[in-house]
Amino acid sequence: MNDRAKTATLALVIVIGIIATVVLSRFVDARRPPVDLTAATDESLYLNAKTARRLSLGFNGLAADWYWMRSLQYVGRKMIQQGEGAALNDLSQLDLKLLAPLLENATTLDPEFLDPYEYAAVVLPAIDVQQAIRITRKGIDANPNAWRLYQHLGYIYWQQHDYATAAEVYGRGAEIPGVPEWMQAMKARMAAEGGSRDTAREIYRHMFEQSADEKVKEMARRRLLQVDSMDQRDALRKLFAGYQTRNGRCPNNWRELEPMLRAIRAPLDASGAPLDPSGVPYVLQSGKCEVELGEASEVPIK
Amino acid sequence: MSSVETLSRISAIARNAFREAVRDRVLYNLVLFVLLLTAAAIFIGELSGGQERKIIVDLGLSAMLLFGVFIAIFVGVGLVYKEIERRTIYAIFAKPVGRGEFLVGKYLGLCLTLLVNVVVMGLGVSLALIYVSRGWDPLIVNLWPAVLLIYLELMILTGVALLFSSFSSPALSALLTFFVFIIGHFSADLKALSVSMGSTGARWLFGGLYYLLPNLANYSFITPTAHGHSPSPGFVGAVTLYAVVYITVILAIATLVFGRRNFK
Repeated sequence: MNDRAKTATLALVIVIGIIATVVLSRFVDARRPPVDLTAATDESLYLNAKTARRLSLGFNGLAADWYWMRSLQYVGRKMIQQGEGAALNDLSQLDLKLLAPLLENATTLDPEFLDPYEYAAVVLPAIDVQQAIRITRKGIDANPNAWRLYQHLGYIYWQQHDYATAAEVYGRGAEIPGVPEWMQAMKARMAAEGGSRDTAREIYRHMFEQSADEKVKEMARRRLLQVDSMDQRDALRKLFAGYQTRNGRCPNNWRELEPMLRAIRAPLDASGAPLDPSGVPYVLQSGKCEVELGEASEVPIK
Repeated sequence: MSSVETLSRISAIARNAFREAVRDRVLYNLVLFVLLLTAAAIFIGELSGGQERKIIVDLGLSAMLLFGVFIAIFVGVGLVYKEIERRTIYAIFAKPVGRGEFLVGKYLGLCLTLLVNVVVMGLGVSLALIYVSRGWDPLIVNLWPAVLLIYLELMILTGVALLFSSFSSPALSALLTFFVFIIGHFSADLKALSVSMGSTGARWLFGGLYYLLPNLANYSFITPTAHGHSPSPGFVGAVTLYAVVYITVILAIATLVFGRRNFK
């Protein structure tokens, strides 16, 4: 066999070998018993935060990035498994027991990495509020000039209806040089009317404007839609009440309310139905004087 | 022998060591691999929730350190051994070349190789930053002091590898150098141990190890760099001086040991 024939034979063996490997892999994959992905993703972490930092040598930043991306993948995978569009700040049904340790590791490995603190403040309260507070406070200790962390900690306390502590946290954040003026205003608003809808609107508006994280921004945007929608639905219920007083019954369709809706300058679609803040028509519950969000609406129900 | 002649001989050995390393295809593969890794960082960045820039800096500089460490260890331990194994060392020492000159020349040759490596890798990370930022990124300015610190760490490690290889086998030298790399990053723990120990002997032991082993944690500035921080010029100056002094001591010990080695 000459050299060219040898080369051709070897090349043929390589090509056939690669094809055979692919075919065999597919054959084995088709016969492999199914793996319980849920169990695999919920195994506890091998390393706690302090050990991970100790073992990271000079690569702690990269290790923190790894834990951060793992946190995102972990939440994302759970959301996909659930199959419904869950809001980022209400993932309590997803059983995210590894999220706090993952964020703890990321922030211990790189204490200046602000995004995991922000994520902890937004996502964790629905799962474990004490862990959310602890991680956010840890972030403040490591980054005392990061006013956004005070904003997030205030948000957690506000969610817990602890308006006095929220006001105190906003106040401490407002003392940082160069902080936006609205932090001081939030302190006053929190102390005076912490539970009001306007306060909620302010919180989510600032969160939307200030956050660098697209997921947090999206959550804040949807919460703003929700607050606006609540106002709209209150206004609609008032119209229903007025209609019922005049007619002795609830309206059966939106056309019956159209003049009143136009009077309050509600945006309407072609059928006369008022549109929610995401542009989807509200659904009138015929004969019940009640209004519901449309199926396609972006406004969160809860 | 005049100092000009000494420098000329060291320079010739260094150039040869550099040429030999460049001829070694593994080095090119590593550079290519790191560039590919940096390119991959761009795609990993998309999974990172808007943290592409930080992750590119972390990944790029960490890869630079890791591959530099492998080059320093595995090429460093072979610098002397290969010449003995091939018996070319007899031809070298038949000429008017001192053993110290030979060691320093070999050392500088590998340092030059590492310099080319870190500069190419630094440019790769800078280009990746420009790509994700769609233009100039201020992190590029912060990047280079960290690259300098990584290079200094690699220079120290190369010296340690050369020292071990001057009296030990390549495998053992590689292992010992790797241990020094790991312990060098635990310097703070050694110091803490020396302070917290009850017995005077243990305090002296850990205190001695702290000062004896290179404090490589001084050169870890990857994570702060990813947050846009730069080391102060005073700090860089101090750790550069530390590296120069430490390397001088290591090369002096290596020369002493190598000078007494019998090649028969």
